[in-house]
Amino acid sequence: MSAEIITARNVTKVFGGLTAVDGVNLSVNEKAIYSIIGPNGAGKTTFFNCLSGYYTPENGDVFYCGQSIRGKGTHEIAALGILRTYQNIRLFSSLTAIENVMVGLHHSLHETWIDAVLHTRRYQKEEKLALIQASRWLDFVGLIGCADAAAGSLPYGAQRRLEIARALAGKPRVLLLDEPTAGMNPQETLEMTTLIRQMRDDFGITIILIEHDMHVVMEISDCISVLDFGKKIAEGVPSEIQSNARVIEAYLGPGGAALAQKFKRKARK
Amino acid sequence: MKTTNLQPIQTGFIFGAVNVFLVLIGFNAMIGSLLAKALGEQVLTALPPLQFLAAFTGLMGLWSGIAAARKHSRARIAGDVLAGLLSGLAAGAVTFVFCVGIGWLLTNKIDIRNYLTVLSFDFINGVLMRLPPLIGALANLGILAAAGAAGGLLYGFIQSSKVQQMGQQILALTRSTTEKMKRLDHGRRRLALQLVGVAMAGAAVIFLPLNWGSYWNYVAGTVGLYVILGLGLNLIVGLSGQLVLGYIAFFAIGAYTMALLNSPVPHNLMLGFWPALVLGVLLAALAGLLLGLPLMRLRGDYLAIVTLGFGEIIRILLKSDALTDFSGGPRGIQNISGPTLFGRPFNSDIDFMYLIAISVALAAFVYNRLQLSRPGRAWLSIREDETAARACGVNTTRYKLLALALGAAFAGLAGAIYASRNQFTGPEEHSLMASINVLSLIIVGGLGNIPGTILGAFALKGLPEILREFSNYRLLTFGALLVVMMLSRPAGLIPSKRPQYKIPQESEPDESHVEGKNVS
Repeated sequence: MSAEIITARNVTKVFGGLTAVDGVNLSVNEKAIYSIIGPNGAGKTTFFNCLSGYYTPENGDVFYCGQSIRGKGTHEIAALGILRTYQNIRLFSSLTAIENVMVGLHHSLHETWIDAVLHTRRYQKEEKLALIQASRWLDFVGLIGCADAAAGSLPYGAQRRLEIARALAGKPRVLLLDEPTAGMNPQETLEMTTLIRQMRDDFGITIILIEHDMHVVMEISDCISVLDFGKKIAEGVPSEIQSNARVIEAYLGPGGAALAQKFKRKARK
Repeated sequence: MKTTNLQPIQTGFIFGAVNVFLVLIGFNAMIGSLLAKALGEQVLTALPPLQFLAAFTGLMGLWSGIAAARKHSRARIAGDVLAGLLSGLAAGAVTFVFCVGIGWLLTNKIDIRNYLTVLSFDFINGVLMRLPPLIGALANLGILAAAGAAGGLLYGFIQSSKVQQMGQQILALTRSTTEKMKRLDHGRRRLALQLVGVAMAGAAVIFLPLNWGSYWNYVAGTVGLYVILGLGLNLIVGLSGQLVLGYIAFFAIGAYTMALLNSPVPHNLMLGFWPALVLGVLLAALAGLLLGLPLMRLRGDYLAIVTLGFGEIIRILLKSDALTDFSGGPRGIQNISGPTLFGRPFNSDIDFMYLIAISVALAAFVYNRLQLSRPGRAWLSIREDETAARACGVNTTRYKLLALALGAAFAGLAGAIYASRNQFTGPEEHSLMASINVLSLIIVGGLGNIPGTILGAFALKGLPEILREFSNYRLLTFGALLVVMMLSRPAGLIPSKRPQYKIPQESEPDESHVEGKNVS
C-alpha cells in the first residue's frame, strides 16, 4: 500500500444545533480513487468543505501529506494542491473557457500588476506559458474547440469538464469532485468515468469523489466511505460496502437489511 | 390583414407618446432652435420660428413611419407607405388628444406652468402653430400622418432592389476590408489599429485645445477627468465586482491634498504642483487600502452601503467646524496654485487640457494592460464567483485590496488635477451625487471597458454642457436615459467583450505533461 495523502481525524462541523459532520475519521491513500457516499443531507459536501478549507472544523484535524491544514484559507489549500469542483457548477460564466483555465493557473504564475503594466519579460513569458498550458488542459478534457466560447454558454456536460480542467490547471495532487456525473446522460457518465480514471493513471492525482450514481461508484472506487447523519458508518472496498447491513439500512431505512437479504435469497432460488 | 394593420398603429401610439413627452420637456423647442441655428437663423427667444417646430414634428413622424415600415415590412412599397401612414396617424392621434387637452386648459385659463415650468403660453401657442387649439391639433395630426407616410415611402425606397444592391456592395466592401485586416497576424493588426488610433487622437489632442477656446477646453477637461474617474471605478466595480458607492471620497482626498499643499490660506505650504500630485495619488491609494481592510468580509449590498457611508464621512469631515482650521470648512479652499513646467507657469486652460489628455492616456494605458493579465483575470474571477475564485488559489482579499487601491489612485489623480485647475475645492463638490454620476457613466457606457467609459463620460458630463438648453431637465433626462438604457441595452452602450486568444505554438511538445503532472 502506498502512503496516506489525506488523513481526517475526528472532523466535526456544527451548524447551530445540527452536527453536520460528526467525528469523521478517514484516510485516503495516494493515487487512490476514494468515494464518499451517503443519503442526502449526510454531510458529504460539508465534509468536502472542511477538506478544501471553506469551513474550519470545530473539532478534529485534517492532515495533508502529514501536515495539518486546519484553519488554512481556501486559496492556501488550493496552492498546496487540493483542488475541487462543485456540485452546482461554479464557473466564471462570462469569461471564456480558456480564461477560466487560466484563472486555474493563477498560483503557478507570479506576475504582479507592475509586470502587467510595464509588460516586463516575466509578463511576456508567463502569459505565453499560461496560454499554452491552458490550451493543453482544454485539450485534455476535449474542449479545445470551444476555447473562446463564454463558459456559461457551454452545454452542461462541457461545463463539468471545464470545471475539472480549471481544477487540473492548479496542479492538484488531490482532486475533490462533488457529484461529477450529476445530471448526465449514460454516454456523458461513461466519458466522465473514463476521464476520472485517466486523471489518476496519467497524472497520479488522488481523487476523492462524492457520487450518487452507484454504478459509477462501484466501478471506479478503490475504497468507499459511507456517511449517514454526519457519521461514518462504513468503509471498505466496493464489495464490502454492497453487503454491509448498516449501509443498506441507511439507504432503505430500518429493516432494510433484512429485506435485502430476503430479496437476495429469492433471487438465488 | 387586420392584425398586420394593428401593429403599425401600435408603433404609432408609442411614437405619439414619445412625441408628447419630448414636447413636455421642451425637447422640440431645443431641437427646433438647433435646426434654426444650423440654418443660420437668429433665435432670440426660447421658442424657435414655427417652421422649425413643425420640422421637429415632421421628423418624429418620419421616424415613426420608418420604424413602422421596418417592423412590419411588406413586400411592396405601397404596403410600406400604408404602414407608415397608419403609424403616423396613430402618433398624430395621440398628439391630437394632447393638443386638444392643452388647448382646453389654455382657453379655460388654467395655469399648468406650476407643474410644467417650460410650458409658457407662448410655447403652447407654438406647439399649436399659433392656431386655435382644434385647428392646431389637426395641423399636428396632418404633419405626423404625412411624415409617417413619407417615412414608409422612404423605407420602401431604401428596401427596393436597386438601393439594396448598392447597400450590399458597400457592405461587401467593408467586409472584405475587415477580412483583410483580420488576416493580418493578431499582434500586427492590433499594432496597426493602435497606431492609427493614437495618431488620430494625438493630432486631435494637440490641435483642438489650441483652437476651440477656453469654454470647450473646460468642458473637454471635465469629460477627461470623469474618464479617469470612470476608469478607476471600473477597476473596482467593472473588473473586481465590488460595488463601491462612495468613490468620490478618493477624488476628494486627491483634491484636498493638492489644495492643502498648494494654497496660501490654511497652511501656506506651497509645496508645488508635481509633488502634491504624486502625494495626492499615493494618499488616495492608501485611503483605498485602509478602507478596504474592514470591507473585505462584505459583499454586494452591504459593501455598497458601507462605502456610501465612507464617502459621506469624508465629505462631512471636510465640512465640519472641528476641522475648519485644517481644511477650510464649508467654504472650501481657494487660490490653489497651478503647475509650473521648467520654471514657467503651466496653468492656462490649454496647458491643463494637455495635462488631462496625458493623464487620460496614462489611465487608459494602465487599465488596458491590467485587464489582460494575471491580476486582471483574478479580478474578473472574483467578480464572477468569489468562492470559486478562492478555491482556484486566488487570494481574493489581496486582489480586492489591490483593485481598491489602484482605483482610488486613479481618483486621486483626477482630484488633484481638478482642484488645481479650478483653483478651488470645497466639500460640496464631493457629494454623493458625484459618486452616483461616476457610477452611472460607467454603467451607461458599458461596465468594464475603456470605449464605454469614454462614451459614458461624454454622454453624461459632456452632453449636458453642450446642450445648455437642456439644463432644466438634466436630472429628468438622466433618469429616463438610465431606465431606457437598462431596458434596451442592459450591458451598456458598448458591452464588454472577452479577448480571443491565439494559442502560441508549443516549442517543446512534452513540457506540459511534465508541468501538469505532479511529482509523484
